[in-house]
Amino acid sequence: MIHVEGVTKEINGNRILRGISFRVEAQTVLGIIGASGSGKTTLLRCLNGLERIDGGAIECDGVRLEGTLTAAEYARRVRQLRRKVGTVFQHFYLFPHLSALGNVVEAPIHVLGADRRTAETEGRELLTAVGLKHAFDRYPESLSGGEQQRVAIARALAMRPGVVLFDEPTSALDPRRVVETRALLRRFVERGHTMVIVSHSIDFLEGLADSLLYVEGGEVVEHAATATLLASPRDPRTADFLRQAH
Amino acid sequence: MDRRVCLTARASVALLCLLLASSAVRAQSELRWGADPSGGAPYVFADPANPERYIGYELEMVEALAAAMKRQPVFVPTDWETIVSSLQRGTFDIIVNGLEPTADRARLILFSKPYYVFQLQLTVRRTEERIETLEDCRTRMVGTLVNTAASRLLEKEQIPFKGYADPVGAYRDLELRRIDAVLMDVPMEMFYARQNPRLKPAGAPFHRGTYNIGLRQGDEALKREVDEAIDKITRDGTLERILRKWNLWNDAQAELSAPVPIGAPTGEERAAYDVTSTSFNWTEAILRLSRAALVTVLIAFGAIIIALIIGLPLAVGQSRGPRWIQALCTLYVEFFRGTPVLVQLLFLYFGLPRVGLAMPGWLTALVGLGLNYAAYESQVYRAALEAIPRGQWEAAYSLGMSPLLAFRRIILPQAFRIALPPMTNDFVALFKDTSVAFAISVWELATAYRELANASGEFLWLGVIVSAFYLAMSLPMAHLARRLERRLQRRQTVRTTAEPVAEAA
Repeated sequence: MIHVEGVTKEINGNRILRGISFRVEAQTVLGIIGASGSGKTTLLRCLNGLERIDGGAIECDGVRLEGTLTAAEYARRVRQLRRKVGTVFQHFYLFPHLSALGNVVEAPIHVLGADRRTAETEGRELLTAVGLKHAFDRYPESLSGGEQQRVAIARALAMRPGVVLFDEPTSALDPRRVVETRALLRRFVERGHTMVIVSHSIDFLEGLADSLLYVEGGEVVEHAATATLLASPRDPRTADFLRQAH
Repeated sequence: MDRRVCLTARASVALLCLLLASSAVRAQSELRWGADPSGGAPYVFADPANPERYIGYELEMVEALAAAMKRQPVFVPTDWETIVSSLQRGTFDIIVNGLEPTADRARLILFSKPYYVFQLQLTVRRTEERIETLEDCRTRMVGTLVNTAASRLLEKEQIPFKGYADPVGAYRDLELRRIDAVLMDVPMEMFYARQNPRLKPAGAPFHRGTYNIGLRQGDEALKREVDEAIDKITRDGTLERILRKWNLWNDAQAELSAPVPIGAPTGEERAAYDVTSTSFNWTEAILRLSRAALVTVLIAFGAIIIALIIGLPLAVGQSRGPRWIQALCTLYVEFFRGTPVLVQLLFLYFGLPRVGLAMPGWLTALVGLGLNYAAYESQVYRAALEAIPRGQWEAAYSLGMSPLLAFRRIILPQAFRIALPPMTNDFVALFKDTSVAFAISVWELATAYRELANASGEFLWLGVIVSAFYLAMSLPMAHLARRLERRLQRRQTVRTTAEPVAEAA
């Protein structure tokens, strides 16, 4: 589903990503872990085209980004890529001037050209699925952090992306909501969604991610099945990080 | 060194004494006279060869009068439109400025005996063939000075006319085809139009009237003094000599030199010459103010629309365009913000015709204010756009939106909400700024106030009415904006009900 090959990225002369490679199989969940400044968020932004990669390649569902492409061609492919990749941001970035339902149907109607009635029916189904049956017409300002996140998830899913990216889904939530969010995501995984989740919370990823990718200094240190990596990390740096994280 | 200090000290003491002495003398025997020297030829105007110095036939006449009165003439430059009010306020003691003794003015001030008999001259473009008399102007636009015998005649005859603050503007607009004819006192016509190859007189001079000196009511003693002085310079030929020198002498003047007994009933004099009065009529005044208010509204709304439309590309160009576009937009903004709107209007009105673009006054005001406020609006937009978090753009992009779609559907509605209060502010300010249009002779509310109040002296009550007009226009707008703001706000927060029980469980 996703194939990342030797991706490099420099920002203001700092080499943030130094040749990252990994694969994500369809209908699996990849958790990306690492300390602050390890480059995991930048990696996620490269995956949805908000940052341009300098070298290497990203292939996702038939769309291929390469560091050597011209700006125009890169932009064209990013537009294709974004039809296949949805993103749930750390701070959600809901549209404050639109209701919960308005947030969800905005892109289907204006990007995909969907009929408003159909889009709204599907939007209501999605909001119901994330547990917001009562909040269709509420505006983001009046929603709690957990509710806002669920609107953001529904908004991303409304575009029927092959892959959903999550940036730090637990950072804005209190502990009880974390459990709810994990349960919610697991339901969507069971329905066949592919996910990439950047998180510093190993507890959250345990039992949700199929495999974990440990990133440090812009490089992949270790990539293994979740249980394997947590139980017996091969690299001492991974072991160090896990010790501190727990 | 010591000696020099000593000398300086003595010199300053002497100078001080001299100053004190001279000011004491001056207080007794000054003749402070007011006139408008801008576009004031041949009455009194800045000498083209030496702009520091004023010249003119009335200046020479006042010098002769002052000499006869054994007083020192002091010229106080003033503004034609407010000249009567300035006299009443005591800025100067007499008006000598080609002032006609109309009945409405006679209610406010005293008049000396006449010193000059004037006539009116109609002027048209050299190529004009349709206009020969004033009658031919019934369906055309005639330019004239505001608050003069000519303007009152036009008003009385119900001929459409446009008032100017100085003759130069009127004749220039005639050349530029903004108006079809100009009606002006012969002295001004001779000086400003007779030599112009593109203009020609239409018909002979007509409509006789006199120039008199204006004095404050109650200044009877000074009036007697002035009348005697006029008699003296008329009898001894001084006045004739001055008028001949300025090429203003004609047979009509001889009527004045015929001995008139001092203290002759002024009523008779007025009956002889005053055919140009209009009595002040409140209904008519309010009607004219309403028409002016309409012009104000037209200018303001037109300008608002232009400002809104041009402001947006300016804002986007300045913050996101390529470097040369950014530079151009910044130049535009800084030019229009950094120069007075009055200067911009004068430039558009008098400067652009040089390159063949002559717009009528109201359109000039509309476009000028629109361009000016576009600069301000662009900054309001820019601040509002920059206040939208980058995450909003990224969220929109991540949903597959193009930059244009993201801007239109996500960024603009949020920015609009932020921009609304400062925009409302600007537009209320714009409403008031329409008053600068008086500089280019547009008959909007402020111009109307000036002209009507100057004609009637009713600054107080007309001022109250005009203020009411302005408020009647700006308050509904402020109210509308506040309601819109509140509605936008309510949309966001109307359902801040408590979280459902199911959620908390």
